Amino acid sequence: MFLKPLRFGTLAVYTQLLVRRYLSTRIIPLIAVAAVGLCVALVVIVVSVMSGFLDNLRASGRTLMGDVVISYPVQGIPYYREFIADVLKLPGAAAATPLVDTYGLLRMPYPGGPNKDVVTAQVWAIEPETFAQVTELDRTIWWKPAASPQEALEMAEDDPRRQQDLSGLYEDAKVLRDRATGRPGALLGMHVSVVNQRQRDGSYRPRNSTWWMPNHEITVTLVPISEKGTVSQSNSRVFKVVNEVMSGVFQVDKNRVFIPLKEGQELLRLDEAPIVDTTAAPDASGNYPVIGTSPARATQILVRAKEGVTPDELRVQVAEAYEQFYLQKSADPNVRTRPPAAEYVSIMTWEQRLRDLIAPVEKERQMMRILFSITYLVCAGLILAIFWSIVSEKTRDIGILRAIGASRMGVLWIFLRYGLTIGMVGSGVGIVLAWLVIRNINAIHMALGNDAPPWLYVTFFLLAAGSAALTVRALTRSRILSVLLWTVATLALVGIGTGLVLHRGFLIWDPAVYYFATIPSEMDWGNAWITAVGAIVFSVLGAAVPAARAADIDPVRALRYE
Amino acid sequence: MTMHPHSTPPHAAEGVLLSACDVVRTYRMGRVEVPVLKSASIDVKPGEWVAILGSSGSGKSTLLHLLGGLDRADSGMVTFRGEHVGGYSQSRLDRYRNEHIGFVFQFYHLLPELNVLENTLLPATIGIGRFEWMRRQGEIRDRARMLLERFGLSHRFRHRPAELSGGERQRVAIARALMHNPDVLLADEPTGNLDAKTGDTILDMIAEQHRAGLTVVMVTHDQWIAARADRTVHLVDGRVA
Repeated sequence: MFLKPLRFGTLAVYTQLLVRRYLSTRIIPLIAVAAVGLCVALVVIVVSVMSGFLDNLRASGRTLMGDVVISYPVQGIPYYREFIADVLKLPGAAAATPLVDTYGLLRMPYPGGPNKDVVTAQVWAIEPETFAQVTELDRTIWWKPAASPQEALEMAEDDPRRQQDLSGLYEDAKVLRDRATGRPGALLGMHVSVVNQRQRDGSYRPRNSTWWMPNHEITVTLVPISEKGTVSQSNSRVFKVVNEVMSGVFQVDKNRVFIPLKEGQELLRLDEAPIVDTTAAPDASGNYPVIGTSPARATQILVRAKEGVTPDELRVQVAEAYEQFYLQKSADPNVRTRPPAAEYVSIMTWEQRLRDLIAPVEKERQMMRILFSITYLVCAGLILAIFWSIVSEKTRDIGILRAIGASRMGVLWIFLRYGLTIGMVGSGVGIVLAWLVIRNINAIHMALGNDAPPWLYVTFFLLAAGSAALTVRALTRSRILSVLLWTVATLALVGIGTGLVLHRGFLIWDPAVYYFATIPSEMDWGNAWITAVGAIVFSVLGAAVPAARAADIDPVRALRYE
Repeated sequence: MTMHPHSTPPHAAEGVLLSACDVVRTYRMGRVEVPVLKSASIDVKPGEWVAILGSSGSGKSTLLHLLGGLDRADSGMVTFRGEHVGGYSQSRLDRYRNEHIGFVFQFYHLLPELNVLENTLLPATIGIGRFEWMRRQGEIRDRARMLLERFGLSHRFRHRPAELSGGERQRVAIARALMHNPDVLLADEPTGNLDAKTGDTILDMIAEQHRAGLTVVMVTHDQWIAARADRTVHLVDGRVA
């Protein structure tokens, strides 16, 4: 006997050879590969963007407000420094900072002439040194020297960060003061000034270099609110813009202004002030006698957790500390201004504060996963239909293989392997496609935001002309299928070209609506692999039914099959 | 009928390689049962060339399929070297077809996606696993090339079946059937689709293999072709006449 028997259908060479040939000599499997690839790409892109969005949301929470926020708006918490000292003794607290948050009016330096723009803004009065320990203020300061000569070279020629020495501005931002004059400084969110324009590379330029904000001053007007809830006389102050910040959260960058805590407290009358007895007779100068001191207040205290301590653990510790602080101050007969009771003070982790935002996105992501899982069924159904037709077409080949000695398992394995290969190649194509789209999603978005360039639609019209010529040629040769295909191609190309001519830039992802200034462009690899494996499994499942049918084909009937 | 595959049937004659004894095969066409083989018997001795002659519908192809293990008889017995082929397990039957039988069909039955060399190699790629293939690939390919060269197809290795003439396709089919050096060549109207001259060439090739010791069972409806065989068995209405 020339050949010794060996019975491993799955390892036999002919299955591999046939699968390779079936894939490379036919168009239908390529359509299946494309379909699987598109399904995988769709799921990976959508879930990656949503995961990126959630990650950004989470990261921004810690970046902007630390781990735990103690909040008592308007009136503020008195003796906050003592409370912060208590907090810093907690085992879970790494740093804490007071701030006053309110809404106010900003008088911008532009346009020229006496009438300037006035905008509303969320004003945060902070202590920059401790605020930077709790949040990542330093990272969000925009106008600062490049971290390395390489980074400077990568910046555009007209980027102010490349043109100027920004180290002075950066240092001013860190202390929120114009160090040269000692005047208080303000940090503006990057989008507060309408003059700033985002570039394709993600950097910013003023539309008009005259209005580059760090060269200018703004006037901040705040309105103090009394204990009775009435509005007092507004107070204004001029601040030198020492820098701008870019947190990546559009609502923050559009609205937030940082000023020094002391100035903020003064403007809102939350600073330390003498308490006078207005029932007593005034002195010779007309002043009432001072009977005590009203302590300075902070409307929020932000706390950062130590490494390894979760925000929830810290929140519990901070809540207990506040309870102690309140009891201690309430029991002190010398304290005239009691802090608010614990039940009126909001003590939340950053996640709880953003819960309204995070929870729906998490649910949406979950729902997307479930909805897009239907694409798996589409893959399986598509492959089942394609393979069913291939098995019908290959019935006689199956008979031939059986006549030569192929086993039923061998025939089964040909088609399972075929499905497996289509699933694997399609998943690979899908992951590469998704990666390319996700990496360039902001560039694609920007391109969609602009009008189509003329060269693009001219190219489509030229291709349409070529396709029309081929239609005419097919007509002269009386090829109905060719005429049909080339006509469809011509119409499609003309349609795309016309669409591009009519296309006017539109932003799908409006940062004003979607919270973040850029679309998340990080691939969720964990999800991508799960999606790929799912697509492969469903491709094999789709192939299984036709494969079993192929294995069941009676070889005698198959050989007679026409 | 059941019997241990390796036991020797009582009727098996001495010196018989392949035999069918009183085989019956009925096919179901919708609601109608069509008896194709009613009680057919044939003995084929080693090195013999037997022609099964019969008109269309006489059951000659069905008898060939039963002898080749492609189909199982409803009753009766097919034996190979005294072993009851009908008692083989499915995998043993697959191996029987792969190792001992070479089929040649009227319509060539080459796989259109594979080229001439790959079609010829097919029995080898089915019969052995990947590791043995890797080890013996050179030797196996050499044999396929040698067979194709012997049949005048050395210039056609890389061609697909669609690029070949009918005679060339049938030569490839014979090379494929001989690839694994079978004990029996079962040819079903091998010249039925060819012109007389090409058909003669194909018969010459089969005769050459027969002279070299190959056992041949050939189905035909043409008595002139059957005359090339050592012996002719007439099949009439599902029975050997």
